[in-house]
Order: sequence, then structure tokens, then C-alpha cells
Amino acid sequence: MPFLQQIENTGFSQWVKQSGSLWAFPGILLLHTYGMAILVGIIAGIDLRILGLMPALPLAPMRKLMPLVWAAFWVNAITGTMLLAADATTKLTNPDFGVKMAFIVIAVITQRRIQTRVFGDADVDRRPSTGNAKMLAVTSLACWLGAITAGRLLAYVGNAGGL
Amino acid sequence: MFDILSNTSHVHLLLNHVPTTAFVVALVLFVVSLFNGSEALKKAGLAMFFLIAAVTIATYTSGSAAEAWLRGTSVKSELPPNVVAAAIHEHEDAALWATLLMELTGFFSWLALWQWKSVKRLPSWNTPLVFVLAVLAFVAMSRTAYLGGHISHIEIRPDVVARHQACLALVDQEVKRPGSTPNAPENCPWQTAAAEVHAATDGNAANAPAEANAEAGGASTPNLARRVGDFVIGHTWMWPTLETLHFVGLCMLFTVVLVVNLRLLGAIKMVPVSAVYQMLPIGMLGFAINLVTGMLFFVGIPQQYNANPVFYWKIVFVLLGGLNVMYFMLVDDAWRTGAGRDVTVAPRIAAASAIAIWVAVLYCGHMLPFIGNAF
Repeated sequence: MPFLQQIENTGFSQWVKQSGSLWAFPGILLLHTYGMAILVGIIAGIDLRILGLMPALPLAPMRKLMPLVWAAFWVNAITGTMLLAADATTKLTNPDFGVKMAFIVIAVITQRRIQTRVFGDADVDRRPSTGNAKMLAVTSLACWLGAITAGRLLAYVGNAGGL
Repeated sequence: MFDILSNTSHVHLLLNHVPTTAFVVALVLFVVSLFNGSEALKKAGLAMFFLIAAVTIATYTSGSAAEAWLRGTSVKSELPPNVVAAAIHEHEDAALWATLLMELTGFFSWLALWQWKSVKRLPSWNTPLVFVLAVLAFVAMSRTAYLGGHISHIEIRPDVVARHQACLALVDQEVKRPGSTPNAPENCPWQTAAAEVHAATDGNAANAPAEANAEAGGASTPNLARRVGDFVIGHTWMWPTLETLHFVGLCMLFTVVLVVNLRLLGAIKMVPVSAVYQMLPIGMLGFAINLVTGMLFFVGIPQQYNANPVFYWKIVFVLLGGLNVMYFMLVDDAWRTGAGRDVTVAPRIAAASAIAIWVAVLYCGHMLPFIGNAF
């Protein structure tokens, strides 16, 4: 695939992959990990609350954490693209990468629905979560778990490269 | 001072006194509290159990580093003459069990402290459970310490003492009836008895460097810690699975670290602090997952971490994280802060430190293969 090879041959990709600098591959992957911890961490916490854990914790104020969640999402979208450029020929042809993206797409759609349904409901903290909200929370947890697993396995299945 | 710290064998000798001697103190405090009903003593005992469990992580990992340091990396290096290789492995297996029991004690002690605050009254099962675990941990840790002594103290090894005394008996016989036992030695040096035990228990091969030992065919069966380690590295699915779980645990820990500490720093002030503290067991469960998976990485390939400076820093930050969480367990200020109220300065500093500590732990873990030599 000449196009993917071209991406991998750009100066930037070469720097990420081969410079040996701690700011290149290790640093970008570090930001990707911090982003994951913030994004999935906070979302999973809210999902568990919707499912009935930590009943004293009100849901409505959690809305204030959403800018942090989406900032983490964009950090990961950018750092993820950088890591992908460095390994375009192997990662973009790896079916596991498609699996990871599918999980993330569903998870993001689910997250947007959770934000409208749950945070848009003024009475959210006055009664137990609806069945619909619980379904969304389970979907969200399952998709992020799937995305983390598929992401981790990128280093092991197919043409494994990098860590 | 730093010369001492650069010798991991010495670091292990320093740290191994904590799970033994300090644990006795904690156990006494806890048991006395069961009799006189003192809440303060009970809390002190539980907090000590938790902190000792945290130090035990460093004690276990430094033990492996100590062995690596003693063996050295040169092909010519070998164990010191007073060290018995088989005793190291017996000690290591005992330490694995003792660490497991100690971490369980620490986990349930923490849970007791947390339940104290959040449900006001301890569930009836908690105190007996912590008591049983603590006694088991104490017995296992004492046995570990006893076996640890056998590594270099020939004078307390029963097999060496037995040979030494048998030799003395033979000499005494000769003195009483001269000429009757011409083969008895003139005197009985301890080193001779130790050398006989060396030869009997592990031969010379076991005291040679690990590589040479492997070349010799690895005559003896591997010890428990090595068998667990071999299971981890012997299955291709194991390492990726453990890493995935390590990441899931990391997310669980981070959600709590972020939400709780951002609240303390004033981000979602309309939530009472006691409500965000309901999240804490999720974080502790995440930490427990990561401790188990992390220890499995460690026993799988200890040489990746034994001489890895980033790993040392990671353990240091984990210990600081343990101290940090104890601050929130023992100081009441923050718990009572209601909706819309700011916490005082001290919990704010602790909250900012918590975020910094766990960001540093993640940094060290991530950099293990890049700055150090792990993968």
C-alpha cells in the first residue's frame, strides 16, 4: 500500500518511530495513556453510579466534569493519530484496529446519549435510574472495556509493532 | 547513605523489619482494642496494618533485587560463601504467601476504616476477618523471617547445627577414649558443617550464577515463585490479558483519584465530600487488581525490574500514595464538608498531592521499558 507507506515515510512518522527521544513514541503514548485514564475513568465512574453504586453521589453535578472528559477524548484522538501515522502500514491493516475504532464509535455515541438523557433530566437525582439509562451505562462500560482490550492487543496481534 | 541505598541487598535487610517487628506492634494494638473497646487503638491498628501492607510491596520486590545483587551480573560472580541458594528460594516462597496474606489484611483493614466513616458502624464480619487475616499474615511473615535468617546465618540453620554437634560428640568420644575413633577430627569448625550442608542441599551448581545453573541442567525443580512466574511467561495469552486488566484497574483508580480530589480542590463543590468518598472502594479495588497483575509481571520476569530505576521510583510513589490515602482515612476535616462548602487548606494540599502521586505512578509504570529495561 503505497499511500500508507508514504504516511509512514514522512519526517514526523520517522521521528516518532525512530528518533529514540522520550518525547517521541514514549511521550505520545504516555499522553494517550493519561487521556485513557481520565476519559474512561470518569465515564466508567458515572456509568457505575447510573447502575446504582454509590447512591449518595448526585449525578447532576457530574455534568461539570464533561469538559475534562471531552478534552481527554481529543487528546487521545490527536495522540492516537500520531501513533497511527508512525505505524500506518501495520496498524491500519490490522483488523484489531478496526475492532477498537468500532468500540470507540459506539462508546462515543452512547456517551452523547447518556449526556442528553441523564444530564438533561432535571429529576435525575430524585428517582432511581431508568431502564434505558442503565442499558446505556452497560453499553458504555462494555464498549470502553472492549476498546481498552483491543487497544492493548494491538501490540500483540497481527503485525505487532511498538508497545 | 546513598551507598547503602545502592546495595539492594541492604535495602531489603532494612525493609524486612517492617512486616515483622512493626506488625507485632500493630497486632498488639488491634487485639488490645478488641478487649477494651477503644476506637482509637483499633483505628491505629487498622491504619498500621494498611501501611505495613504497603511497605510489604517494597519488601517483597527488594528481596528479589537483593538476590540479583548478590548473584551479580558478571559471568564470574557467585553467591557469597555464607549464602545458601536453596535457602533463598525457600524464603522467597514463604514471602510470596506472606505477602499475599499481608495485602489481604491491608485491603480489609482499609475497608474497615472506610466503612467506619461511610456507614458509621462496622459490619459485624469485618473485625473477625481482619483479626484472622492478621494472625495468618503474622504467622506466614514470621516463618518468612525465620527462613530468611537461614540464608546467611549458618549458626541458626538446624542442619548445620546438627552436623556441628554430631562432630563435637565424635571429638568428645575420642577425648574420653583415646585411640578408639582414629578418624574423628581434632576440632569442628562451623564452616565445615556449613560446607557439608551446601554440598548436600544444592551442590556447587546452585551457588553459581543463574546462567551457569541453567546450563548445568537446573537439577532441582523450580520453587513456587518461579513456577508461578513460568506460568505467566509460558502462556502467550497471559501477558496481554494481565496488561489489559492492569489498564482496567488503572482506569478504576484514576476515576476515583480525579473525582474525589477535584471535589476537594473545589471543582464540583455542590457534591458533599462524604458522597464522593463513596467512590473510594472502586479505587482501592482498581489498585488491588493492579497489585495482583503487577506482582504477576514481577514474578514472571523479575530481572526486568530488579535493576530498573523507574521501578524503584514507582514503588516509592505507591508508598506515598498509601500514606496519602491514610491521611483521608484518619483526618475527619474533609469528610464533614457538606455541599457547596470548601475544604480547609490541609486536605487541599493532600488532594493536590494525591493527583501528583498517581500521575507519577502512571508515568513510572509507562516509562519502565523506555527509561529502564522492561517491556
